[in-house]
Amino acid sequence: MTLLDAPSEHDALEVLHQLGCTDGLPVVIPTTDRVSRMVLATGFEPDLVLGVMGPMHGSATVEKVCTAAVMAGCLPDYAPVVVAAVRAVCQPEFDLTEMQATTHCTAPLVIVCGPARHACGEIASGFGALGPGHRANASIGRALRLAMINIGGARPGSSDMALHGHPGKFTYCVAEDEENSPFPGLHTTFGYDPEQSAVIVTGAEAPHSTFFTGDRDDPASVENLLNVIALVMANPGSNNVHIREGSITVMMNPDHTDVLSRAGLSREDVQAELASRAAISVGTMRRISPDPQGRYEESADDELIHVLKDPSRILLFQAGGSGLYTMVMPSWCAGPHRNAIVHAEIELDQACEVPGMSELPN
Amino acid sequence: MRDSISVARLGIPAVALVTEEFWPQGDFFAHSTGMPEVPRIKLPHPVAGTGEQKMAEVAADITPSIVDFFTG
Repeated sequence: MTLLDAPSEHDALEVLHQLGCTDGLPVVIPTTDRVSRMVLATGFEPDLVLGVMGPMHGSATVEKVCTAAVMAGCLPDYAPVVVAAVRAVCQPEFDLTEMQATTHCTAPLVIVCGPARHACGEIASGFGALGPGHRANASIGRALRLAMINIGGARPGSSDMALHGHPGKFTYCVAEDEENSPFPGLHTTFGYDPEQSAVIVTGAEAPHSTFFTGDRDDPASVENLLNVIALVMANPGSNNVHIREGSITVMMNPDHTDVLSRAGLSREDVQAELASRAAISVGTMRRISPDPQGRYEESADDELIHVLKDPSRILLFQAGGSGLYTMVMPSWCAGPHRNAIVHAEIELDQACEVPGMSELPN
Repeated sequence: MRDSISVARLGIPAVALVTEEFWPQGDFFAHSTGMPEVPRIKLPHPVAGTGEQKMAEVAADITPSIVDFFTG
């Protein structure tokens, strides 16, 4: 790593802005002391390589990742989550290089599951969990982004060619509201034990609000809820409708999961119901998109095209406050692995308490 | 909360019904609008969508408090 000199923190910040090392907002200056403390908190050696980040193909060493974490404003407690998030996105199935370079507005959404939500935070899962105002959520997601900028080399207009960007490209991190959810922890669907902690990462658009007001007296309530979510999933403008190979995130508030659980539906039941309902007619596709490959030539206008072939590609979990809105995040769907959902364990047993941390300035 | 405060400002007795999840927000608005003592009664959360029977139970529970407020 290159060490920079500056006469003051103010000057150092300007240098980092000029070098394109920031996300456009002020950062905490990553002094050697601050980075060393963050590295210590991970419990790993600083030169341990967590993965390679494209399109610059930089080696994501623990030290570099911790530099990003310091710049993002992370407390050392958050370091294990940042490390896991970097490990997750560096898996080839995530197609990070292609994702960073695409014109689409996709950003890695980090979903934190298991005890680390409390041990490395508190990472918010309730009101306004996607922000602003929650330090752990904000700085963990931002640390991943700063790593993607400075290790992965993604810079707008030259290597990151997103046409418009997306506010979640500053930070996009949420914890699952496991304690109040009727469903098992999301990480258990990826093979983790409930007492383990993990990040689940998916490439996601900004959240699309989905309005639904339930009525416990109305037996059609559950049908109505499933139908409105499915309609948003099948938004004709999303890549999911046109490419149909990606994933879709459904972040449900507790009132809406209550409707589903009262109807006796498990997470797998809901995924299957949504996958079967999220569809668009051939006639609509003919009106909105050319068909050079002749995919619909033999199809009637009223024939339905399903947005997802595999219900397990619906990331369904509870987060957010109690109320009327569920969030649906479509995905990019492209890349050689279709920007697959990835995950990594948060290794809490590696983490070290930093001596004297409470007496030191940040 | 805003409705209750607006009505109270007109000199008309008013009490706000606030669910427990939104109680801190009610406090915030009461202070930010300069009426920290504006009357409010706490409801369970959620009320909306919980069905007629549940809502009737909630109404029965809080009605005496509302009556007491206006007549006490």
